[in-house]
Amino acid sequence: MFKKILIANRGEIAVRVIRSCRELDIPTAAVYSDADRHSLHVRYADEAYYLGPSKASDSYLRGDKIIEIALECGADAIHPGYGFLAERADFSQACQESGITFIGPKPSAIAAMGDKQVARNTVSEAGVPVVLGTEGQGDLTDEELLKIAPEIGFPLLIKPSAGGGGKGMREVRNLEEMPGLLTASRREAEASFGDGNIYLEKLIQGARHIEIQILADQHGNVIHLGERECSIQRRHQKLLEEAPSPFIGENQELREAMGAVAVQAARAVDYLNAGTIEFLVDEDRNYYFLEMNTRLQVEHPVTEAVTGIDIIKEQIRIAAGQPLRLKQEDIVLKGWAMECRINAEDPFKGFMPSTGTITQSLLPAGPGIRVDSGVYSGFEISPYYDALIAKLIVHEETRNETITRMKRALEEYRVIGVRTNIPFHLALLEDPEFLAGDFDTQFIKDDVPPFSGGQDNQSLPEVAALAAVLAAHQKTQSSAVLIQGGRQATSNWKWLGRWERTTK
Amino acid sequence: MKYYASIGEKEYEIEILSETQVLIDGVPHEIDLKVLRQCQSLSLLVDGRSYDINIYQDNGDWDVLLRGRQFSVEIDDERERRLRLAAGQVARPTGRYVLTAPMPGLVIDIPVGEGDQVSKGDVLLILESMKMQNELTAPRDGTVTRIETKVNDNVERKQDLLVLE
Repeated sequence: MFKKILIANRGEIAVRVIRSCRELDIPTAAVYSDADRHSLHVRYADEAYYLGPSKASDSYLRGDKIIEIALECGADAIHPGYGFLAERADFSQACQESGITFIGPKPSAIAAMGDKQVARNTVSEAGVPVVLGTEGQGDLTDEELLKIAPEIGFPLLIKPSAGGGGKGMREVRNLEEMPGLLTASRREAEASFGDGNIYLEKLIQGARHIEIQILADQHGNVIHLGERECSIQRRHQKLLEEAPSPFIGENQELREAMGAVAVQAARAVDYLNAGTIEFLVDEDRNYYFLEMNTRLQVEHPVTEAVTGIDIIKEQIRIAAGQPLRLKQEDIVLKGWAMECRINAEDPFKGFMPSTGTITQSLLPAGPGIRVDSGVYSGFEISPYYDALIAKLIVHEETRNETITRMKRALEEYRVIGVRTNIPFHLALLEDPEFLAGDFDTQFIKDDVPPFSGGQDNQSLPEVAALAAVLAAHQKTQSSAVLIQGGRQATSNWKWLGRWERTTK
Repeated sequence: MKYYASIGEKEYEIEILSETQVLIDGVPHEIDLKVLRQCQSLSLLVDGRSYDINIYQDNGDWDVLLRGRQFSVEIDDERERRLRLAAGQVARPTGRYVLTAPMPGLVIDIPVGEGDQVSKGDVLLILESMKMQNELTAPRDGTVTRIETKVNDNVERKQDLLVLE
């Protein structure tokens, strides 16, 4: 086993990795930027080393410096978490060359899945279904793409080869509007990824985003841990995930077929460690390979909940050369799990990120609740990194019970000082179509569904109005006292006194 | 003291009779309010029902967090209500509005120019922060009279970005 693991990440995922290392009795080394000296991952790790200025390109993306720190502190393995260096083939390569184990796939597999055209081509040759498109035809000119487009059929998508996060992606409804969109897509791809190559893909209407978790060891064993439903997204950012998918539900045949195909796709690139195959699934339950994430996913806890497997511990064991302890037939999905991503953003103001100090954080607790968080009361949210402050994961027997438990947990959860998307999640969990499991990737529009009430909650708006009036009344009273020359207010109202300073 | 509190279309008339008694739309309620200062919460009992509440005041509106939901409450007191009725109608906001950066970030785009007429909700500026592109919009109709930043500028929180009149 490893002597020490360096965690090349920050926030909740760094804390998550530290927790598994502690349980495996492996010492940990954290790295941090200027903005993160006070972060939880620094406080929880056995050792912590300064990396550089707050901007990610000067700190968490400095692979050279991270390897240097690892060598100096005697870490023989690096866990990259997700984001930052997790999907950089050159970093995985550099670790290898320095004699440090990269807890993840080999550089060749990262590279093969990193270029979307190459990835589609590779898995398609291995017999994995892909959405009809121009993969395997190399980088085509605009003229060639315009000629092929009608054969694929409209609507279709223009996608950058180097893509990610929806950047440079364009939806095309007809041939007339296509030339302008090609130009725009190439320009955005060039600006975002330094690579203007694009390809076409048929747009599947009403598609769901369902992904399969894979584990692959160094002894040729590849298993899958079932699916995750990730269709609830806003601008290509996932907000809520669940396992199993209500669309697959009891359909064990479909689950096994998709799982087998995912294993096949992983084998096609000689995959090692934990990874995820993303599929688009249409209304007729046809499924198509979308891409492979060659790293740990943000939403891995829902799979951990229903399988009982600690995926990070498995990652570490695999990287240390141990064979998988479980066979495919040992994997049994138990109950239902759901994750809400709690972001520091204001759902009532266009999901604008909210920075500032978290003055209070009161976490939900009780049966079936798990919170993976990187923040605490007094923590300052900086503008340098993403807005994810915590993941709330609940587990119950059925989907309905899971939703009820999630609502209970969201109602308990208090974050004061920055705005969060908790009200958005509660509104979503009361939406009849969501409750019926009837949604696709286009389900979330830009506005928050209105508060629908429900029998127990009829009185909430009235109580909110009353509370606001009591607060406003107190404010008026205290300014009146000031005008009267600071005479002490004898009224019991004074308890409201400093609400303004404390809640602002 | 009588207040009018509205949430969306719905208005509540709330009269504070004493520290323990209020009328909501004429119906009497027993209340008991305690401030839990360390938790920055209000514990409010209304006829024995218990509510745990957090309140933000934001641009004159009161945002109330209650059981994970958020309600934006607008409040008028009796005097403001009389003045407003005497003035004929709800006052339309006019005058200068200075758009400031809600957070530090990088200016990605300014789709308006000086002298442009804009309507409420129009995008004035796109600010990149926390890996997201955020659209800052006009809070009301007006004319852009000054732009005090440019594309690719790094701006600080609360820095003036542009002026609407």
